[in-house]
Amino acid sequence: MSKRKVKDQQLTVGQCVCQVHRILRERFCFQKLPSAPVGLESQHKHLLELLKRTAIHGESNSVLIVGPRGAGKTMLLKSVLNELLDVKEVKSNILLVQLNGLLQTDDRIALKEITRQLNLENVVGDKVFGSFAENLAFLLEALKKGDRSSSRPVLFTLDEFDLFTHHKNQTLLYNLFDISQSAQTPVAVVGLTCRVDVLELLEKRVKSRFSHRQIQALSPMDFPQYVELVQQQLSLPQEFPDGRFAHEWNNSVKALCEDKSVEDVLRKHFNLSKDFRSLHMLLFLALSCVTPSNPTIKPSLLLEASRLCTMDCKANMLHGLSILELCLIIAMKHLNDHYQDEPFNFEMVYNEFKKFLQRKSHSVHSFEKPVVIKAFEHLQQLELIRPVDGSASRTQKEYQLMKLLLDHTQVMEALQRYPQCPTDVNWSD
Amino acid sequence: MSRYFTRLKMKRCYKWGGRPSLCNRKFKSCYYEYVVLCKPDCNKGKWAEVQWFVHFSEVPYNRRKLLGRTPHPQEIFLYEDRTCDGEIDAETIIGSVEVEHLPPDASFPETGQKGTLYFKLCWDTKAFKVVDAEGRHLDDKTPLVSVSVAPTTRVLPTPDATVMKRALSVTLSRVSASAGKLAASEVESGHSASKLSASKFLSRRRRGSCDSTPGVRKKLDLNSEFLISVLLFCTHRAEELPEVSEQTDITPRSKRKSARLVSSRIRKQLNLLNAGEDQVFEDDSGDECFVPSKKDAGSTSEDEESGQAESEDEGISVKKRRLAASCRTPRSSRKAPASARTPHKSSSKKPRTPRHATPGIPSRSLPARKPGNVLEEARARLHVSSVPDSLPCREQEFQDIYSFVESKIVGGNGGCMYISGVPGTGKTATVHEVIRCLQHASEQDELPSFRFIEINGMKMTDPHQAYVQILQKLTNQKATADHAAALLEKRFSNPAPQKETTVLLVDELDLLWTKKQNVMYNLFDWPTRRYARLVVLAIANTMDLPERIMINRVASRLGLTRMSFQPYSFKQLQQIITSRLNQVKAFEEDAVQLVSRKVAALSGDARRCLDICRRATEICEHSSSRQPGSGLVGMAHVMEALDEMFSSSYISAIRCASTQEQLFLRAVIAEFRRLGLEEATFQQVFVQHRALCRMEGLQPISVSEGLAVCQRLGTSRILLLEPSRLDLLLRVRLNVSQDDVLYALKED
Repeated sequence: MSKRKVKDQQLTVGQCVCQVHRILRERFCFQKLPSAPVGLESQHKHLLELLKRTAIHGESNSVLIVGPRGAGKTMLLKSVLNELLDVKEVKSNILLVQLNGLLQTDDRIALKEITRQLNLENVVGDKVFGSFAENLAFLLEALKKGDRSSSRPVLFTLDEFDLFTHHKNQTLLYNLFDISQSAQTPVAVVGLTCRVDVLELLEKRVKSRFSHRQIQALSPMDFPQYVELVQQQLSLPQEFPDGRFAHEWNNSVKALCEDKSVEDVLRKHFNLSKDFRSLHMLLFLALSCVTPSNPTIKPSLLLEASRLCTMDCKANMLHGLSILELCLIIAMKHLNDHYQDEPFNFEMVYNEFKKFLQRKSHSVHSFEKPVVIKAFEHLQQLELIRPVDGSASRTQKEYQLMKLLLDHTQVMEALQRYPQCPTDVNWSD
Repeated sequence: MSRYFTRLKMKRCYKWGGRPSLCNRKFKSCYYEYVVLCKPDCNKGKWAEVQWFVHFSEVPYNRRKLLGRTPHPQEIFLYEDRTCDGEIDAETIIGSVEVEHLPPDASFPETGQKGTLYFKLCWDTKAFKVVDAEGRHLDDKTPLVSVSVAPTTRVLPTPDATVMKRALSVTLSRVSASAGKLAASEVESGHSASKLSASKFLSRRRRGSCDSTPGVRKKLDLNSEFLISVLLFCTHRAEELPEVSEQTDITPRSKRKSARLVSSRIRKQLNLLNAGEDQVFEDDSGDECFVPSKKDAGSTSEDEESGQAESEDEGISVKKRRLAASCRTPRSSRKAPASARTPHKSSSKKPRTPRHATPGIPSRSLPARKPGNVLEEARARLHVSSVPDSLPCREQEFQDIYSFVESKIVGGNGGCMYISGVPGTGKTATVHEVIRCLQHASEQDELPSFRFIEINGMKMTDPHQAYVQILQKLTNQKATADHAAALLEKRFSNPAPQKETTVLLVDELDLLWTKKQNVMYNLFDWPTRRYARLVVLAIANTMDLPERIMINRVASRLGLTRMSFQPYSFKQLQQIITSRLNQVKAFEEDAVQLVSRKVAALSGDARRCLDICRRATEICEHSSSRQPGSGLVGMAHVMEALDEMFSSSYISAIRCASTQEQLFLRAVIAEFRRLGLEEATFQQVFVQHRALCRMEGLQPISVSEGLAVCQRLGTSRILLLEPSRLDLLLRVRLNVSQDDVLYALKED
């Protein structure tokens, strides 16, 4: 890390690669904010103006940011807040309260947290004493005393907003929105949620008090933009210590993105999701293979990373099964084919298995029944089969109804790839 | 040495003629008799700066000889002790008395002037000294002196202010009769015989106060007159509790002392009854009273001593005392959070009643900017929070509520009114407007004065908190829910002259529903009491709430005075907007009409209407920065705002979804069509999905990826899913109509 301070134009390859790792990992893993929100410019502007009005004019507002996971809602809010706090007039005026629905699971905790973050007078050290009712009364009284022109605006950000709607009576939301609609301390309530139907979760009184502003964090991104984004994410910045290496790296990234196979991989990912996080995962896997001896991201690395990302986990599990267990799986598959996905029990599977042994048991030993039961139970532990809901636990183990949690194709694929699979086991036809 | 003084934690309070009116323990560790008000400090609000004076009887017994003469009955001493608080709550002052400074060698005037007290010397806890008059705040003949100790009813949950007042007056009359005697027999501290009975009284009373049930209190109140003085005494004990928690080792001792004092008071009163008995009090009990302290454990030995010296029964009273002491601890610990809230207070040398944390938001460093242009001005006016000068379109409702409340206030009786209406139809705003007008009228003396209290079902954590909030707003005291209910019950059922009418607004009534409905029952029952003078205005959303959720006895008490607020029509909404804008020309006429028609068709919610208008001004501001237009909010801007607020976000969410997600939705619909059901398992849908992939020429995805796609749609609630542990078997349903999905997918 200290190498960065050395303003040497010629770093060794190892040092350069180390730097590359550091810079890119910051982007992929630590969710470093990009310099500008990509694809969300208009939303950024809207939110910034809204919050500015609260901070400067003391106008109360409420807004929801809705978008699927990984669409950049938090990034949007964070970059807006960063920009907002850079304005001097705002920074000295605003009070920030950040809540998360996963942390503040009920109103009692949420109220304590709000009081703590606002640092009201009933906060002692870092703790808030008093009962729930007292805290609520105190907080409401405090917020009621303020007015538009003289008191500091309070900015509430509610992450995982939909979880707050499950609190009892939605007391917290009612009060926050009520304050935002009455002449009290100016507040801005910003909710972040991935649920499109979030407004239907609000109780009618709460809903009426909400301003119905929604910012959709959706970017209608198309594939060329996506590729551009990938390139941007992988490129090194101008201020990289070793200019020559950076230049080479950036050129190699450009070449990578124009590669046909890479384009296929990226298109497949793009089709799956436009989510930034899954993209970061893919790029990160590729990046981790970059070593001093191999200082560029080659298309093969990206292909390998893509293979890892899109691997089917169930099929992988099948590779680790014993021959007996695999035979049982195949027997179940046959049962499924015969009886159109009706549930089966152990006895049925065992009969099917015995039929197979009678027909062509050249390589497979005939196992004792307890051994087969053991194998069956192991499959259940692996959750490759699961008991049907409602089948009473009183029934004997052998007769408990089960369902196979594997698709037809998964079984076929696994059989093809199973290492040293005896040919006669392959009776799946 | 200072121990002596803590034992004497009491204050004797004098009536106008310098007669002791009641014995009292105040909240501080110093002892004093006269509280001299030097100047009421306006800046500090309720606090008054005082100088303390001490009566001769408060000087420790073994020090009294230092004076070298018998004190004049109306003589007091300036008390100099740094531990005294220079400020007291102004509300504890009950009257004034004149204090005159005399030169040390002057003789006391004739006792004809009953209203004047004299002081020559000062007592600095060790010796008497000559007062240097020029250093004092008050010169000779200062008339501005007052005597403190009004019963502060707010500190403890006392039954009623009026009850307390009565009690006080009784005590005064009793004691004033014995006043002449008192001056002579200052010294007495408690006769051995009387002490026993007094301590019994005391312990009984204490146990009663620990329960702090109004019932017990009431009983005591009615029992006998001298108990009333004890009762008063008890209320003041509460004030010293924070102090007690700091100096616990003193507590038993001071209690003991207080027992003595009370016993002496009772003794005096008893004496008065059998007038023959007189001056039998011996100094021996006084001696014991001022035995130098021997730490905390000493109190037990002292008790034993006194037990030897006195009758056998003492043991019982000791037990009782202990019982009382143990009862006390929880009380003081209950107070503890209050003192913990302000730690700097307890650490400071100057003891003061713990000031509660005042709720408040820090004020901003820079003032808020005023609206700069027409659009900003319009936006400020259109904000729901801005209170309009008048409420248009609710004149009829306003009139009805006004006349209802007015008639109740004038008539001095109570009543209920139920107001219903969907959200955003101006129910609460109208009631507030009515109250504003009524308050204005009562200021003009057109109406008797009344109190307005507002509670909101949504702003409390539990329906029973309603009692607590009402009590707090009514009398400013804090109590638990049960206790508050009992106090309110008493307040509203007891006759009291000159009680003003209380108007209670209960917002979001439906949230006060409990299984037994006792909160609602009480709220509607109190107005029916003869002396309650309570008007209840209950607000809720649904018109048939009384029929739906209330049991008969509650609904019957609510009565049939009902009013329902209809949703606003488009004309009314239009009028609301124009009246709010009030000559600020920011909107085109058509634009306002469009908004109001659209909202009226949907909900008639005025809040929504104003929000849309506000958003439209923002959009207008945006577009005018790009291309200069008329500067007015036009149809296009309003349309855009309406679109933003009303358009279904599902469609845009589906349009922005990835290809595989869209394909999955198609597969879901295809599978639904095939099954003829609105539900399918993931496994079934996935088969369709794979087929669709082949048709679209896409590489089929694996089951894991398919599940991930499905879950992503599930988290944004376009699909409704079962928990993911079911894996392939989880059932999938659409949260949008199939037509919407197809519409969203058709475009591209």
